[in-house]
Amino acid sequence: MRWPLLVLLVVLSGGVVALQAVYERRGGALAGSTEQVLYVRSPDAVKRLALSYDALLADIYWIRAVQHFGRTRLSTEPVKQYNLLYSLLDLTTSLDPHFRVAYLFGAIFLSEPAPGGPGRPDLAVALLQRALQASSRQWEFAQAIGFVHYWWRQDYQQAAAWFQRAADYPDAPEWLVPLAATTLAQGGSRESSRMLWQQIARTAEDDWYRNEALRRLRQLDAMDQLDRLRAVVEAFRQARGGPPADWDDLRRAGDLRGTPVDPTGAPYRLSDGAVSLDSASPLNPLPAEPARIR
Amino acid sequence: MAVIGHIALNVFKESVRDRVLYSLVAFATLLIGASYLIGQLTAGQDVKIIKDLGLAAIATFGLFIAVFIGIGLVWKEVERRSIYSLLAKPIRRHELVLGKYAGLALTLLVNVAMMTIALYLVLAYLNTQFSDNARAVWPAPAVDVGMLRAIGLIFLELLVVTAFALFFSTFSSPFLSAALTFSLWIIGEFNPELRNFEAVVESPAAAYLARGLSYVLPNFAAFDIKTQVVYALPVPSSYLLTTSAYGAVYIALLLTGAVAIFERRDFK
Amino acid sequence: MDAISTEKLTKHYRVGFWRPRPYVALDALTLEVGRGEVFGFLGPNGAGKTTTLKLLMQLIFPTSGRAEILGRPLGDLVVRRRIGYLPENPYFYDYLTAEELLDYFGSLFGYGAAERRRRVAALLDEVGIGAERRLQLRKFSKGMLQRVGIAQAIVNDPDVVFFDEPMSGLDPLGRREVRRLMLKLRDRGCTVFFSSHVLSDAETLCSRVAILVGGRLVASGPLSNLLAFQVQGWELVLTGVTDTALEQATRCGQVVRATRLGAEHYALELPVTTAPERVVSDFTACGARLVSLTPMRETLEDYFVRQVADAPRNREWGRA
Repeated sequence: MRWPLLVLLVVLSGGVVALQAVYERRGGALAGSTEQVLYVRSPDAVKRLALSYDALLADIYWIRAVQHFGRTRLSTEPVKQYNLLYSLLDLTTSLDPHFRVAYLFGAIFLSEPAPGGPGRPDLAVALLQRALQASSRQWEFAQAIGFVHYWWRQDYQQAAAWFQRAADYPDAPEWLVPLAATTLAQGGSRESSRMLWQQIARTAEDDWYRNEALRRLRQLDAMDQLDRLRAVVEAFRQARGGPPADWDDLRRAGDLRGTPVDPTGAPYRLSDGAVSLDSASPLNPLPAEPARIR
Repeated sequence: MAVIGHIALNVFKESVRDRVLYSLVAFATLLIGASYLIGQLTAGQDVKIIKDLGLAAIATFGLFIAVFIGIGLVWKEVERRSIYSLLAKPIRRHELVLGKYAGLALTLLVNVAMMTIALYLVLAYLNTQFSDNARAVWPAPAVDVGMLRAIGLIFLELLVVTAFALFFSTFSSPFLSAALTFSLWIIGEFNPELRNFEAVVESPAAAYLARGLSYVLPNFAAFDIKTQVVYALPVPSSYLLTTSAYGAVYIALLLTGAVAIFERRDFK
Repeated sequence: MDAISTEKLTKHYRVGFWRPRPYVALDALTLEVGRGEVFGFLGPNGAGKTTTLKLLMQLIFPTSGRAEILGRPLGDLVVRRRIGYLPENPYFYDYLTAEELLDYFGSLFGYGAAERRRRVAALLDEVGIGAERRLQLRKFSKGMLQRVGIAQAIVNDPDVVFFDEPMSGLDPLGRREVRRLMLKLRDRGCTVFFSSHVLSDAETLCSRVAILVGGRLVASGPLSNLLAFQVQGWELVLTGVTDTALEQATRCGQVVRATRLGAEHYALELPVTTAPERVVSDFTACGARLVSLTPMRETLEDYFVRQVADAPRNREWGRA
């Protein structure tokens, strides 16, 4: 090859790279493209157009759903918009009605309250209802519906009913029966919550989900510990006529052996006689407990 | 019969020398690249997605090989006039057509077999990346012999596509043959839709026409049981049997047509 | 039994897409070629030579008429086992080597591997392809391909070979080798039927020729019997020609025209009535040396031009 041609090739290659860099610098795709727009909204149309690639297309929509959820969660915008999440999950599960994880995780994503998610437990239940009709392992979806009612809507009647329904499927695990009973009797109590999360931690096949369950269990442990510490502080106040200034007061009084720490190792805070989690503890915020339990 | 075998081997040799098997490198790269990327992108669905992707890629790579070699099988011989010296040898024209077909079938068989092995290797590796806990909820094991049923039907579908490409190439130009074959493949994937046409259109005549067409046009959707094997859903052996018979009869029909046209053709 | 016989073999093509008109590529060709002959099938381009060969090979099918090879109908596989065919400007699978191509064609005749190896090696030696036999045919020149084409035509030791323009694309050396090969085939008892538009090829090889113009047979028979190709004079080239000798020869009408090629170097045109031996001996007696003596005939090209210009009269002559 003659060298002028070579130079031209190098210059043009450089030009391509440089222009792509300019494109990136000015913010990449124009607003309105890719991320915010679904090319086709009708699941029926997509299914027809997919030819024999419906499963693969479902995978792609699923990856898009995960990306959309994750990216929006991490974005710095003041109001996080998860507008596409349900449509993407709907497309995914229409293209591949057996996509178990898309239903289960989709429901988790949809239920998550703002700003961590869209806070739409109703859509989560709708998605899982479709799963019940379309796929096998139905007890799992019924249990997941129960979970949404239990955790995100605090509707323990409904939750208990769905856990019972899940337990009635022939291949359901045994632990669903006591879960349904406990939920009905004392839904929202730490005992029933602990049971629910323990099952999830035991059966979760995904690390993220298992860690979430373990965090919830630690929160429950922390809530128990907080109750005990508050009792100790109350006893101190009654005995001395005033709240302790710090944990050392309690240690000197022989009520504690040292500075108490939560299950993640962060010390509990004591100020003006009120006990709380350290603001830096990853267990924040603790879930609200239903009034009737307390 | 021996003559058909010799012609088939020559077709195989041609496709190897034309670097058709390089598609295997592309396939392996795609699969390995995808399994690496997917692990980063999504939550624990690697095995399912790799199965989806692998099966779809086997079908797609095969489709392109079947069409683009299939349309050239006979056309190239005629266009480059190599057929002149060939037909003066003691062979019959139908042996030439069948030998060409068998040769591409052999190429596809080798290709699909190698891609299948690559897919199983990637899946076997992925299998080691998950806990027993995670594996317990998979509908089918990562390394699943059942997948071979879907691959078998993909291969059969490719044989039907090849027969179409060969049939068209006995009387039309490569460009037209490719366009016709691809169109028929797409229509064949839509075939089940033709059956419920009356739900979409008003006119009963159109519905009848659609229904009639669905019987005549190839039903490629019937060969697609990818979802069933990925989710370990039941596939009755009677289904496999009737679909195989359907494919075999369709291939026989097309090859007979190709031979009928080719037998009387003048090579000016 | 003739090696080849055709009877009113006719081929029409339809040309034009919207209003097809028949075009007569070959018009009622009746021809007989005996066994062991080297038969030249002559005619200008487009005369129907290739059409005839393709009809005989069943690459195309006749509109009417019939043909036999070795006394059997054309489609017969027994016939195909005993014939060979070299197409015009042959092209073969360029991804194969010369060896592989011949091996492939040999396998179509049902030869075993050892038999094929033996035949292929011998054939490639015979057509003069040496170390190149391991090269893919895409690297072959036209002349080399022609040799491969001849080799594949005789891979089965045929009883009849059909060569379509076997000399085209060859240099003079190559032409000579092909001529030698055709004679060798004839000596083995093989009938050689070849087409050409070059007369000299036919002159040196053929026992008989047929001449085709515009799809019609215009003449056939031994070349020497065809009036147009009888000797019309001689061309004599000499060196050491003295002026006096030249003058004398011209005076007694032995030389019609003299062209000076150099010092004492002349090309002389002798009339057909003169015995060239005598003229040569007269000149050599005067110290001249013979360079060449060539009979002068109408060339095939001249002949074709005349045929095309004056078709009806000549056709009658041809049939005579």
